[in-house]
Amino acid sequence: MGSLGVSQFVDLLVGGLAVGCVYSLVALGFAMIMRATSIIHFAQGELMMLGAMCGLTSLWLLPVLPLLLVVAVGMVSSGLIAVMMELLVYRTLRRRRVPIMNIITATVGMSILCINAARLIWGSEPLRFPELFAATAYEFAGVRISPQLFWIMVMAVAIMGALQLFLKFTRTGIAMQAVAQDPEAAQLMGANLTRMMAYTFAISGMMAGAAGIMLGSMFFAFFEMGFITGLKGFVAATLGGLGSIAGAMLGGILFGLIETFSTVFLSSAYKDAIGMILLIAILLVLPSGLVGLWQRRR
Amino acid sequence: MITPLDPAAPRIGAARYATLLTVAALIVLPWIESDKFVLHVLSLIAIASIVAMGLQVLLGYSGQLSIGQAAFYGIGAYTSALMTTKLGLPFPLALLGAGIAAAVASLLMVPITRLTGAYLAVATLGFSIIVYLFIKNEEWLTGGSYGFISIPRAALFGYVLRDPIYSYYLNVGVAAIVYLTFARIEGSRFGRAINAIRQDPDAARASGLRVTLLKSECFVIAAFVAGLAGSLYAHEVRYLAPNDFTFWKSIEILIMVVIGGVGSLAGAILGAAVVVGLPEFLRGIGDYRMLVFGAILIATMLFGEGGLAGICAILGRRLGGLLMRLAPKPAASNERVQ
Repeated sequence: MGSLGVSQFVDLLVGGLAVGCVYSLVALGFAMIMRATSIIHFAQGELMMLGAMCGLTSLWLLPVLPLLLVVAVGMVSSGLIAVMMELLVYRTLRRRRVPIMNIITATVGMSILCINAARLIWGSEPLRFPELFAATAYEFAGVRISPQLFWIMVMAVAIMGALQLFLKFTRTGIAMQAVAQDPEAAQLMGANLTRMMAYTFAISGMMAGAAGIMLGSMFFAFFEMGFITGLKGFVAATLGGLGSIAGAMLGGILFGLIETFSTVFLSSAYKDAIGMILLIAILLVLPSGLVGLWQRRR
Repeated sequence: MITPLDPAAPRIGAARYATLLTVAALIVLPWIESDKFVLHVLSLIAIASIVAMGLQVLLGYSGQLSIGQAAFYGIGAYTSALMTTKLGLPFPLALLGAGIAAAVASLLMVPITRLTGAYLAVATLGFSIIVYLFIKNEEWLTGGSYGFISIPRAALFGYVLRDPIYSYYLNVGVAAIVYLTFARIEGSRFGRAINAIRQDPDAARASGLRVTLLKSECFVIAAFVAGLAGSLYAHEVRYLAPNDFTFWKSIEILIMVVIGGVGSLAGAILGAAVVVGLPEFLRGIGDYRMLVFGAILIATMLFGEGGLAGICAILGRRLGGLLMRLAPKPAASNERVQ
């Protein structure tokens, strides 16, 4: 284990970054919902799974579909499902002013519902994605990188960048941020609360859907894939400091790297445990995540 | 003269009657319904309700969200199984040992209690995953994925509880003891202190309460009873597999508490009955079982505040009001004299 070539190191780094990007996308959804409603949205992983399933189904129907369109299908379907969840259930719950624990439990119910619906629709066998990427490795300055991982990273970074631009520079994006910070003041300034919440869920769902296509193409798509990935996304979001968007991105990538490298250097049986131990340690030092560090320094 | 509008006065009496009735029903029940499977499910409900009541103290009383109770449940189950098989210790000792082992493990959580809300939830989740991986990977100790087999039945004073009726009485009995103990916590000094912490930790600290200590005590109490429940489970089912103690189990325990009504002990038992019993009850619809379960879970959450306990209280009050209106007046005043 001691001697590790440069190329192996780069392989690990790229793999960790790619998985980390997927976690980042899921974590972003968690963070956005957390910020706007302080709900821990346990169905986030299932949104990811449904995105992967819908994308795969679109590929079965139209095998010539290019990669970007498959991702778009996954994003749109997950986004729509998320909006449906919000409009049909969570909004009603919030209106009835039920305690936050009830809403969180309802998201668990939603997650059970999605998992079992997916099992009935798509069966319980793992489903393989067709080849979406070029087979030959790209070479950058003598270092070979798998096209799949490369494009996953590019897409994830592009999506996250687009989200940041949207939140910073569009009226809707700014309104969403305002609603997340202070719903009542934002409403007085003319922001439509219901619509902004629906947008928040739509965007969170879209992020999860994109993550689903990426993860599904790396491994398999199956009805339970969302559960553990969703948890890791939640952990990543916490690592970054819940409710912070930049923190969620950073947390996801960091978690992916920690997981990949600890598998190789420490133990593959305990790879999830190592991530968790690190997480608990970080939380003990920085009770509000990585963003806490940033804020303390300012 | 108490006015009928005063809700507190008649309810204390009613609650006492309800408790007595429940106890009587639980004792008589095995003679009416002696089907082995039904008794087994009832035992499982009693066991689950013990863990749920522990989480109720943690979440409902002291306001700390833990989604890692399955870890302590698992530690208790495996400790008890190891103590009886490898060390040959008698069951009561193993039961106690399981509780203590879980409580000691929960001392690891003491530094974590300064986290709040979602951060605390994530940390407990992490602990739960670590314990699960330990159970799954340390085959020499726990049997790993093959599971832990040939755990003896529970035995009291040298008498093996072979009949499901006896193990039913054991499990329900322990659950009843836990219930009565926790019911006393609520009104005690300790109970009021943790209630104050739940409502406002800063104010509680300012009033001289040792917040971290009290919070940790809640963790230890919840873990202790979870360990007890784990031990009972090990000797009821007599086969342990790592998959019984995944993170999903923790979520199930949380669902029991929330569906039953956060803050209500009886609610935790009701929730345990629903979460354990409903899937058995829905067995007839096969694949749609969990789909329906999810839908019922969401629907219950729509009924607001108190979960099932709240719904029962509302129904009870309505029923009481109805009875009071129907009953002839002399009878009603008679009741109050008593």
